[in-house]
Amino acid sequence: MQRAQKALLKAVTKGASDMLPLSFAVLPWGILFGSLAVQRGFDWLEAQLFSGIVFGGAVQIVTVELMANNASLFTVLFSAFVISSRHFLYGLALRERLSIKPLRWRLGLGFLLTDELFALSGDRRAYRNRFRLYYALGAGVSFYLAWNLWTFIGIFAGTSLPNLTELGLDFAIAATFIALVLPGIKTLASFAAAVVAGVTSVTFTLWEFDLSLVCAAILAMCVGFSIQKIRGQA
Amino acid sequence: MNILTIFLLACVTFGTRYLFLEGRLPLRLGSNVKQLLSYSGPSVLVAMCTPIIFVHDHRLDTSLDNPYLWGAAVAILAGYKTAFNIYWCVGAGILAFVVVNYQG
Repeated sequence: MQRAQKALLKAVTKGASDMLPLSFAVLPWGILFGSLAVQRGFDWLEAQLFSGIVFGGAVQIVTVELMANNASLFTVLFSAFVISSRHFLYGLALRERLSIKPLRWRLGLGFLLTDELFALSGDRRAYRNRFRLYYALGAGVSFYLAWNLWTFIGIFAGTSLPNLTELGLDFAIAATFIALVLPGIKTLASFAAAVVAGVTSVTFTLWEFDLSLVCAAILAMCVGFSIQKIRGQA
Repeated sequence: MNILTIFLLACVTFGTRYLFLEGRLPLRLGSNVKQLLSYSGPSVLVAMCTPIIFVHDHRLDTSLDNPYLWGAAVAILAGYKTAFNIYWCVGAGILAFVVVNYQG
């Protein structure tokens, strides 16, 4: 019993430590959000509530601006929906593993399913057993706490801090994603998918296309899948 | 009013995250869709990190003094040299990034 608990605890801390570079990488954005919300006239509780229950970096930063500019409720919610639509892809990708789990796991991990948690979900055994579930819980909860702490700092100290988004902490996100993606690129199909994802994502971002991430990812998936099919039949 | 909007926003983000995790949703993924989805992880990760590396101030930055480019190149190299050890890969990449970033 005790040993089992220890093992689960270890899974939680492993998840949290694997998430650490990403938790720190979003520090500038959490602080930016907190200070932006206060500057746009939200009180501290509302600002913290954003991070506490909405829990989505880009959604929060965009909608707080829209709300401050008195955009209609529909505009606010629709923008949030467009930015959040990439989560459909994550849910679909993890459906087979998570839809069979008890409700509390689905609700908990569903709430915590950010880009960052999905990034750590690539392992073939991810979510398959209890340890893997606790690993994801450690990763997800630690990221949640970090995001809320950064927001809190932004709310109360944001105006006295310099703009940290220029520091380059976002490179930690890029480096971590590279490290996570490299071992999976073993076939021509996965290599082609990666190339297409990169080229289309950069192109769409330059066009300032709102759905750049989702569209680039879907195009890349189709290319990878097609090559796999063609080569499989050859 | 703000509180209500924030609550509705939470419903949007949670709804998009949770929807397909619900087992009672009448949707069965065929083997082709599953294979297609097997490319979602790498595709999403690459689609997320390449704009961080290449797009700065809304412009394509492929110049040799782009520290993100050096950091990414070193991270990839370190990944292959260390059999994809994540800590070496991230550490070496960040080191290269910092060196180039604070030199120029």
